[in-house]
Amino acid sequence: MNRKISFSKAINEALIQEMDRDEKVFIIGEDVAKMGGDFGITSGIWEKWPDRAFDTPLSEAGFVGLACGAALCGLRPVAELMFADFIGVCYDQVVNNAAKLCYMFEGKATAQLVIRAVTGGGIRCAYHHSQCIEPWVMNIPGLVVVAPSNAYEAKGLLVSAIRSNNPVIFLEHKGLYNKKGEVPEELYSLPLYKANVIKAGSDLTIVAAMSMVEFAVKASQELAKKGIDCEIINPLTLFPLDKETIINSVAKTGRLVLLQEGPKFMGYAAEISSMINEEIFEYLKAPIKRVTSLDTPVPFAPVLEDYVLPHYDDVIAACNQVMSF
Amino acid sequence: MALTKEHLLKVYRDMVLIRRFEEVVEKYSKNGTIPGFIHLSIGQEAAQAGVIDALKVTDYKFPDHRGHGAIVLSSHPEDRKRIMAEIFGKKTGINGGRGGSMHINDLAVRNMGFNGIQGSTVVTCLGTAFASVYNKNDDVTVVFMGDGTLGEGTCHESMNLAATWKLPVIYALINNQYAISTFYTDSHPQEKLSDWAKGYGVPGETVDGNDIEVVIESTSRAIERARNGEGPTLIEYMTYRWQGHFSGDPAAYRPDGELEKWKEKCPLKLARQKLIETHAVDEKAIQDIHQEVEEEIEVYLQFSLESPVPAPEDSILHVYADGIQVEGRK
Repeated sequence: MNRKISFSKAINEALIQEMDRDEKVFIIGEDVAKMGGDFGITSGIWEKWPDRAFDTPLSEAGFVGLACGAALCGLRPVAELMFADFIGVCYDQVVNNAAKLCYMFEGKATAQLVIRAVTGGGIRCAYHHSQCIEPWVMNIPGLVVVAPSNAYEAKGLLVSAIRSNNPVIFLEHKGLYNKKGEVPEELYSLPLYKANVIKAGSDLTIVAAMSMVEFAVKASQELAKKGIDCEIINPLTLFPLDKETIINSVAKTGRLVLLQEGPKFMGYAAEISSMINEEIFEYLKAPIKRVTSLDTPVPFAPVLEDYVLPHYDDVIAACNQVMSF
Repeated sequence: MALTKEHLLKVYRDMVLIRRFEEVVEKYSKNGTIPGFIHLSIGQEAAQAGVIDALKVTDYKFPDHRGHGAIVLSSHPEDRKRIMAEIFGKKTGINGGRGGSMHINDLAVRNMGFNGIQGSTVVTCLGTAFASVYNKNDDVTVVFMGDGTLGEGTCHESMNLAATWKLPVIYALINNQYAISTFYTDSHPQEKLSDWAKGYGVPGETVDGNDIEVVIESTSRAIERARNGEGPTLIEYMTYRWQGHFSGDPAAYRPDGELEKWKEKCPLKLARQKLIETHAVDEKAIQDIHQEVEEEIEVYLQFSLESPVPAPEDSILHVYADGIQVEGRK
């Protein structure tokens, strides 16, 4: 396997191959059909299936609500939120409807829909096109929050998300869209609810998702030169979380650094930290450290945004602190 | 278009069933047997019974939070006692006591449930209507809403999309004139709320929601339009709720004499008059209907009272599909 394609192409391929396999799958959202999506992710689908690709009015509540109703009828909608930030205007449908349908219908009907949400900062678009929304949807039992970090994961996880009978918020970090990676051309799936141990190690566990994985890998290479052996875990499904993989890792290394692009307060890093304290406090050799954004909105001017987002140097500093405790 | 005698007798019975169902629910809510909030639809029986009567079982129905009547009439006769048991929070309830009064669904008859948030099902209903088009069948979708619901932004998104895509949706707006305490002309600029549909090029009609013949006739026309691919219709059924917003609300915000005036327009009374005067139905036949309904309601009530409560640990079931189980108490 040495074909390399971009993260965005991998998602496009997953959509086309799943639509080819299952005629219940359709795509819906703003500019997803004729234009092929604001980021081009759905290009070529409308040409192939004009009856299964739908451009909607600007109405996130409308088309996410439609997706919920269509899912109850057995269809498999894949809706696109052009920017994850727009979840605010359809939040009711996500948290009060999609998340609860399986429970309300006692599993006789389910909300097998995917909401692809374009997330994350770094593109100088400020407040309303840059946020990490995962904490907004991780407190809602019934939802599944999936967060790939590379093209291979993106394709395999999106295929699983579409086949899942649970409502999946599929987070696509826009900073990853152009990054290329090895991706098999044939259809494959990767398991939901299962973390990936990117690299095994014995001294320190680093947990990182989406854009933060790159920081983790780079840091582990730098720390290796000093003889520090890092284990890197990407949860892949942030909620419900694969607790076991993380707990087993930290029980082994005794040290944990958590990387999260979004604001510090109440993020997944906070939840994982709390989980480790509750479950295996006695195994810890050092306090847990978090590297996150500042607790501010995301500002526009590059110097301002860069100040707010997590810094690579902070990762190294956190790892060193944990190692020297 | 007048109904046949048999048809009018059938829907009269439906309305009596709603009335008695609600009165029993009210009694057991007030004495503390039924937990939580109860929103009663006494006075609004014709709008609920008429709309359901005009539909097929396979049509999708989204009831509203004041929808016990539409819900119980939608259900298969053998399941109706399970609707009451659901309101009592019992294991035998149609949803295992998990939802209660405000969240009853019944997939067997395509009652797709109300979700407790005003204006929420108004967009969810687009999906079932969309599925009918996608799957190329002629099932239509009815979404019940109130005069208050129309203040929600989702109503615009829904009507805009349904009108543009000609989705088979019937917006059944039961105007009982009060959103809790707020009179409908204090929250909407239109004299007739059905005029609101005009901006979308959608037919809107305001009808006497207490005259079941008018309800059935107007709803049937809207259903026919939807089945023929001509898109959505909004019907405003003018009516009045006799009780407060919830069981226990004294409704002190209503002017003196208003309730009495509307009680004169009782939908059951109106239908009874037609049965007697137009169809020469005798008093005995009417009493027989009441007696029959009384016995039926008694069956629902005894079933609801005698049924066991759910097993507490059932609360962790079905959070997720695909065998994903959340943790219970340890």
